[in-house]
Amino acid sequence: MASAGESGDGADGKGVTTITIISSDNEAFEVLEAAASMSLTIRHLIEDGCADGGIPLPNVTAGILAKVLEYCSKHVAAVAASSEAGSSSNAADAAAAPEKEEDLASFDKAFIDVEQDTLYDLLMAANYLEVKGLLDLACQKVADMIKGKTPDAIRQTFKIKNDFSPEQEEKIREENQWAFE
Amino acid sequence: MSLKSIVRELKEMRDGIGSMSRRAGHGRAGSRHSWPGLWAEQQQPQRQGQGQEGPQQQQGRWANLPPELLLDVIQRVEDSEATWPARRQVVACAAVCRSWREVTKEVVKTLQECGRITFPISLKQPGPREHPVQCFVRRDRASSTYLLYLGLSPSLHGENDKLLLAARKVRRAARTSFVISLVPDDFSHSSSTYVGKLKPNFLGTKFTIFDSQPPPETVVLPNNRPRKRQSKQVSPRLPLGNYNVATVTYELTVLRNRGPRRMQCTMHSIPALCIQEGGKAPTPTGTIHSLDEQVFTLPTNKGNEPATEFSSTSLSADLSGLACTNEAPLILKNKAPRWHEQLQCWCLNFRGRVTVASVKNFQLVASVDPSLNIPAAEQEKVILQFGKIGKDIFTMDYRYPLSAFQAFAICLTSFDTKPACE
Repeated sequence: MASAGESGDGADGKGVTTITIISSDNEAFEVLEAAASMSLTIRHLIEDGCADGGIPLPNVTAGILAKVLEYCSKHVAAVAASSEAGSSSNAADAAAAPEKEEDLASFDKAFIDVEQDTLYDLLMAANYLEVKGLLDLACQKVADMIKGKTPDAIRQTFKIKNDFSPEQEEKIREENQWAFE
Repeated sequence: MSLKSIVRELKEMRDGIGSMSRRAGHGRAGSRHSWPGLWAEQQQPQRQGQGQEGPQQQQGRWANLPPELLLDVIQRVEDSEATWPARRQVVACAAVCRSWREVTKEVVKTLQECGRITFPISLKQPGPREHPVQCFVRRDRASSTYLLYLGLSPSLHGENDKLLLAARKVRRAARTSFVISLVPDDFSHSSSTYVGKLKPNFLGTKFTIFDSQPPPETVVLPNNRPRKRQSKQVSPRLPLGNYNVATVTYELTVLRNRGPRRMQCTMHSIPALCIQEGGKAPTPTGTIHSLDEQVFTLPTNKGNEPATEFSSTSLSADLSGLACTNEAPLILKNKAPRWHEQLQCWCLNFRGRVTVASVKNFQLVASVDPSLNIPAAEQEKVILQFGKIGKDIFTMDYRYPLSAFQAFAICLTSFDTKPACE
């Protein structure tokens, strides 16, 4: 069994290892191990030595997996850059740090500005793969989509059916009447 | 649940044949028999939120989000929308669908725990211990209506003021009473917005406060003391009842009209013990109209008959009676004002919350039996404070163990002054 840190696809010249992740529809993605490890689920699989030959994810499609890995790669690079800037004595590097944070924030904002179906899939994938940053980002996006909406508007946005009994419905309507008074 | 089964269920949900939607369908079939007319209304495609979807539309995946994710999302909404009017967002979440309602109710804490008024039921929950909930009352003489708002004082344009309760003075024969409602335009007893009422005695020296729901952990002594179990169904359209939860009395002191009145409130439904450290006042958590979570017992006749246990659904809809605790009730008395020689008036320290002298102004503190060992600091806490700040504007600050409803009702008694009292 290959030891953790090595993958069949090998390491590049700098000694950085890559991992192969395989989507449910059999598409393979090669990413830095550091990026893949932003998913706790994947990290545990790597640590358990299951990365050999690629890690299959039977419930994440290629489209969503691509997005998740894009998020991870971007964030891992940002972490690396900021730690470099932190240890560097170069003033220019240090000054660039807050800018890079802003870049990351605007990346996140643009990243999560997706169609609802994609948002749902991202949310589920982030949950299953345990990518905390992405999960927080997606949950916050859903919370932001809820704000400012009446119950009817929320149902329309998320295509949710009103499944209250008529009796409950009446009580709830009064509750809302009071709240929106 | 294993990963595999979670994955399978997720896949099924996506394909729209999830077991959860099957379960939901089952429930709907049941209700179809009971309320066919209303059900048909729900099925109409014109119903907002349905769009062009057919009547057999299963619940979409957003309604079936894993509970921990829904919890995360709704917790974020709860955390960010702490004050009114934004807080209505939390109430909106609880109105979306069943699963969202369950999670929202789990996320929102009681008024005492979080200091925030959220659902109408918050109006019947005791306030926080540490600091009072600050409200104001606006009187509209023309319509004899009194409106209770959350907030320090009326805001500049009045748009952001959260209306909590409304009361109307109703005159019948020689007596006036106050009807308390959730909305300012409907004071009918049979309306589902009816919350309670206030009735004075003939002299206007004693007032009885009635709650439409009996508080939890109280014993109901029905007016007619039935021996048999009543088996009528509770219909949601009839009034729930009128439960005597408190009595407020006014007395003149030896100074008669030259001195302030003596006020006493006996809170039948609140045990005196609850103001002890760690004590807990009855806190309802259902909806403001339901009897769902209440279980009543009739007290044993000092003799051989056992206590009869009733479940909520077997009580008659118009049961009335005294709702009291088994313990000694909490008694509140007004703090005696001091005569200020220079100002030539009676004074209380309202800490800036009351600025206009009025016979209606008062502060209530607990009057406890020494045997209960309540520390002095606790006994001095002003539990309810009410007073004038302007023409037809009054502030009302209340705290544990009173609820907004009880506090408002007590303050309303102050408006109903009679010659015998003045």
